[in-house]
Amino acid sequence: MSALIAAEGLHKAYGPTVALGGADLIVHAGEIVSVMGPSGSGKSTLLHCAAGLTVPDAGRVAYAGRELSRMSDVERSALRRREFGFVFQFGQLVPELTALQNVALPLRLDGVSRRTAERRATGWLDRLGLADKARARPGELSGGQQQRVAVARALVADPKVIFTDEPTGALDSIAGERVMEMLTSAARETGAAVVLVTHDARVAAYADRSIVVRDGRSSERAGVR
Amino acid sequence: MRRTAAELALGVRLAFAGGRTGWIRTALTAAGVAVGAVALLLGASVPALLDARQDRALARADSTGAIEVPAGDTLLVAAVESQWGANAVRGRLIWPESTRAPLPPGVPAFPGEHRMYASPALQQALRGPDGDVLRKQMPYEVIGTIGPEGLSGPHEFAYYAGYQRVEKLVREGSWRVDHFGYTIPGDVESGTGTYVVVAAMLATLLLPIAIFIGAALRFGSDTRERRLAAIRLVGADRRAVLRIALGESLVPAVLGLTGGTALYLLARSRAADVQLFNVSVYPADIRPVPVLAVLVVLIVLALSAGMALLGFRGVAVEPLGVLRRSTVWRGRLWWRLLPLAAGLALLYPVVLPGEVGEDRTGAGVVLLLVALIPLLPYLVPVVARALTGGPVSWQLAAQQLRQNPVSSTRAVTGIVVAVTGAIALHTFFGAATVRRATPDDPADPGYMLQTAAYQAPAAMRARTALFEQVPGVRAGTVARYPLYSTSGTTHLPGYLVVGDCAALSQIATLDRCADGDAFTSGEVPAAVTLLDDSGDEPAPGDRLPVPRNLRHATLIGSDAEYASESILLTSGAMPAALSGVDPWFVETRMFATGDAPATVAGELRGVAAAIDPLAMFTAFAPEHDKYATLRTALDIGSTIILLMMGTGLLLDVAARLHDRRRLLGVLTAVGARRSTVIWSVLLQAVVPVLAGLLLAVGAGVALGAVLMRMSQVPILFDAPTVLTPVAAGLVLVLATTVAVLLPAARRVTRTEELRYE
Amino acid sequence: MTIATAFLALLEERPQHGYDLKRAYDQHFGLDRPLHYGQVYTTLAKLLRNGLVSVDGVEGAGGPDRKRYTITDAGVTDIQRWLDEPEKPDQYLQSTLYAKVVGALLTGRSAAAVLDVQREEHLVAMRELTRRKQGGDLADRIICDRALFHLDADLRWLEHTATLLDELAAELRGTKE
Ligand SMILES: Nc1ncnc2c1ncn2[C@@H]1O[C@H](COP(=O)(O)OP(=O)(O)O)[C@@H](O)[C@H]1O
Ligand SMILES: [Mg+2]
Repeated sequence: MSALIAAEGLHKAYGPTVALGGADLIVHAGEIVSVMGPSGSGKSTLLHCAAGLTVPDAGRVAYAGRELSRMSDVERSALRRREFGFVFQFGQLVPELTALQNVALPLRLDGVSRRTAERRATGWLDRLGLADKARARPGELSGGQQQRVAVARALVADPKVIFTDEPTGALDSIAGERVMEMLTSAARETGAAVVLVTHDARVAAYADRSIVVRDGRSSERAGVR
Repeated sequence: MRRTAAELALGVRLAFAGGRTGWIRTALTAAGVAVGAVALLLGASVPALLDARQDRALARADSTGAIEVPAGDTLLVAAVESQWGANAVRGRLIWPESTRAPLPPGVPAFPGEHRMYASPALQQALRGPDGDVLRKQMPYEVIGTIGPEGLSGPHEFAYYAGYQRVEKLVREGSWRVDHFGYTIPGDVESGTGTYVVVAAMLATLLLPIAIFIGAALRFGSDTRERRLAAIRLVGADRRAVLRIALGESLVPAVLGLTGGTALYLLARSRAADVQLFNVSVYPADIRPVPVLAVLVVLIVLALSAGMALLGFRGVAVEPLGVLRRSTVWRGRLWWRLLPLAAGLALLYPVVLPGEVGEDRTGAGVVLLLVALIPLLPYLVPVVARALTGGPVSWQLAAQQLRQNPVSSTRAVTGIVVAVTGAIALHTFFGAATVRRATPDDPADPGYMLQTAAYQAPAAMRARTALFEQVPGVRAGTVARYPLYSTSGTTHLPGYLVVGDCAALSQIATLDRCADGDAFTSGEVPAAVTLLDDSGDEPAPGDRLPVPRNLRHATLIGSDAEYASESILLTSGAMPAALSGVDPWFVETRMFATGDAPATVAGELRGVAAAIDPLAMFTAFAPEHDKYATLRTALDIGSTIILLMMGTGLLLDVAARLHDRRRLLGVLTAVGARRSTVIWSVLLQAVVPVLAGLLLAVGAGVALGAVLMRMSQVPILFDAPTVLTPVAAGLVLVLATTVAVLLPAARRVTRTEELRYE
Repeated sequence: MTIATAFLALLEERPQHGYDLKRAYDQHFGLDRPLHYGQVYTTLAKLLRNGLVSVDGVEGAGGPDRKRYTITDAGVTDIQRWLDEPEKPDQYLQSTLYAKVVGALLTGRSAAAVLDVQREEHLVAMRELTRRKQGGDLADRIICDRALFHLDADLRWLEHTATLLDELAAELRGTKE
């Protein structure tokens, strides 16, 4: 099985700080991979490179065989709309839009008609137990609800990969578990792969396998599938 | 296509859904756009307005130039140009020479002897409180109204009166016309420095509005950029972000255009009530030229779109956040000085003697106002660097000012421009008012009536008495004959002046005077030669002996400056030969004393009209404050602008406080006293204003001087007119800053804020 | 927690037959090891003798199990006493993990390597627990969570120690050179 995402030999430095010093990441279709490591080890930078949000200084990232650094901003943006989903720790929802509008946003940006987009968004909100919050704005939701809206938005366009960076970092453990359970079960159902960046082993345990990043180097270790 | 529409729609949604801040921003921008749109629409209507006025003016033009029209189906016309208060009065005395003579536009039939058709405004004035005084200028019976097609505007004072005597005055005041609508090439009406003043005023009002729109659009930009970054994460590319921002700017632009159009229609419906510089307009004349109207819409949309896009200069909105290309401000002085240099280059001829081109000066004045905008962000860090040391609060503020002067001065710039313009125009208006009260030289008369025919001494005395019947008026009548001079100084002629002692003593200082005395302002000649100017070249005319016993006298007033050696004769000393010679003028000089009533000018004109409606009456002292309307407009305008800018500043301070909430919270958390934090924010708001107002005083006074020089008003400043706008600006800034700062700072400096983010 | 205390807790909820008690115990507390019937009846006998439960009647015929047990006041007091008494925290002072880390240090090996091997092992266990937890009911969740939290704590301690010890080792090497 060829890899969906193949990131090899990634280097990235911010001035004197070396964030990545030769990191690899292989993600196959449909699998859930956790990226662990102490804070400051370069996990987020690895995720950003793998998703084409940051350009590495050296190394290559291929998505479905196409190299991200060779793509234009327009192509990468299209990838983010159609193939990728993102769930970050916070700050990813647009505060002015309702939960429904937030979830429908990737579809709307992709030119899907408003009715279709909102119908699909409503479906995902229902699945994530937010049917009654569709018209609420992010500010009126709890942290866990906001993250579930983010999960719904990450899933709405039927992406191939969902990139998550400390998705439960700002939540208490119960809310965090709920988000993780909904995220992983939905991903397994739709066949989306998940890259799960976390420093928390209990969150990483939702993955099929784990890699560890330490001082900007990753250890791809075989895990149990 | 659908994507673009969705992106624009998203932008529109964001403009509406921005919560309280978003609404304030949208409303403020819309207000700015509306004011700008009104100004532009009115500007776009000017061509049509001028065309309409011009068309009517041309249609009634009766000036044949040098061409003499032979008698036939012709109308005899004589012009009586007069003044009533602030209004110019256009009078025509007419008499047809045939039944098929041309009728003036707007007049249904020829008025009979001493009957007239009058404009509605004139009729109203005649019925008004001082109508009796005005009536003396046009003692004719009103038999009808001049239609709009014969008037330049609804407020014009005009009349056509039947006056048979014009038959006898052909070539001595009256002329023949065979139609109306003569065109004379190059006959373009041109005001004095007035148009420069108008240009300066438009700039004073419009520039801050443009700045305001920019400032309002940028309000809360940090939050909005972060939000755009979040949208970028879910798949918007760079251009999509710009399109979203465009959609967002579309809302205030469209709202502003709608509001502006409504205001414009309102202004248009009230147009008939307004007049400026003797120009009044019919509402029907105010219509934007279609091309220009479309252009206005495009300009307004482009302006707000441009301002929105300009906000992204140096800012890269990336999915992971907003990157600013340079956080440390590196201002260079030289390009900031370019507009200033250009403005000064255009204005420098003003300090040299001689005439100054108006267009050039107008451009210079506007440029000088514009020049203030880039200078301010430079001045502020200079001040911050100069004042090192001091308490912690100042050091915090100074550091912020050094690092980011552009954002610190953003809102202040508009206030400074407004205050500068206000200072310049107010000082100028102040000086113009001073001139209104006094003629150029205090010894000169306020008014003068000049007639051509010889008058016997008794008749001259009678004429003086007629004018002195007006309360508070002294008068004197003399006959003036220019003298021929062989020396080269023909441009400063000497005069032979004949009058009684009282009249002569208004022209020169006499040691004593009795009838029969004679005086000279220079040497004592044996005889003088009168000037004969009936030919093309000045030629020597009659030669007259001069009395032996000439005493010395000193000319006063303008004559002292502009006349060479002159001879003054009392009627008793008049050589007999003189009575056969027509004088150049018999002139009655009138002085209004301190307790003269306000209507004195009108009354004097009435008396003059009774003597001869076609005689030349000149007012040396302006009869009204022609800047009164402008002054009111300026006051209203600068108040609106200061309020708008104040609101802008309020939002700016609030937004900056919000952005730096965390830092302030940290400061408080590490033990900075709350007063320190508050003071630092206060200083940060006030120091740019102080620096700016300093600049405003300098530039305002300079511009005021330029305007005074332009309009040949004595250059004069008084502290209150300069300092009132400064004080208004300062109070506004302090009030708004303190109003937003105190409650906000209390909230911000609570350390709980730290728990979030 | 002893089987006796568990029975008392179950009986306080409602009187039950011995068979029901076994099923309830297996469900809530039994984990991987279901009770033998022998254990059930010896425990119940002990409780009867100590007066903590009583038999509240024999119901109609049929089945080997005709007695229904009810908790007595003394039994309720006993439960209360058990709940009131805090558990002594486990000290975890002597564990194999600890021994391995010290061993790595003493032999000059990298504690991080120990960690990496151990983490994967822990994660395998944690993944298994997480899977079970997602499939199970509330009791399963709670039980799995306890194990997960403990494993997580182990890992965190390892991580913490490994960082400290690697630093210490580097320091030592530095001073030797
Ligand atoms: N935008 C940035 N600018 C400067 N340094 C950065 C930036 N992003 C990350 N770093 C540095 O790179 C290193 C790795 O960061 P990161 O990938 O965020 O680690 P992690 O997510 O594992 O905590 C850290 O030392 C961090 O300070
Ligand atoms: Mg991180």
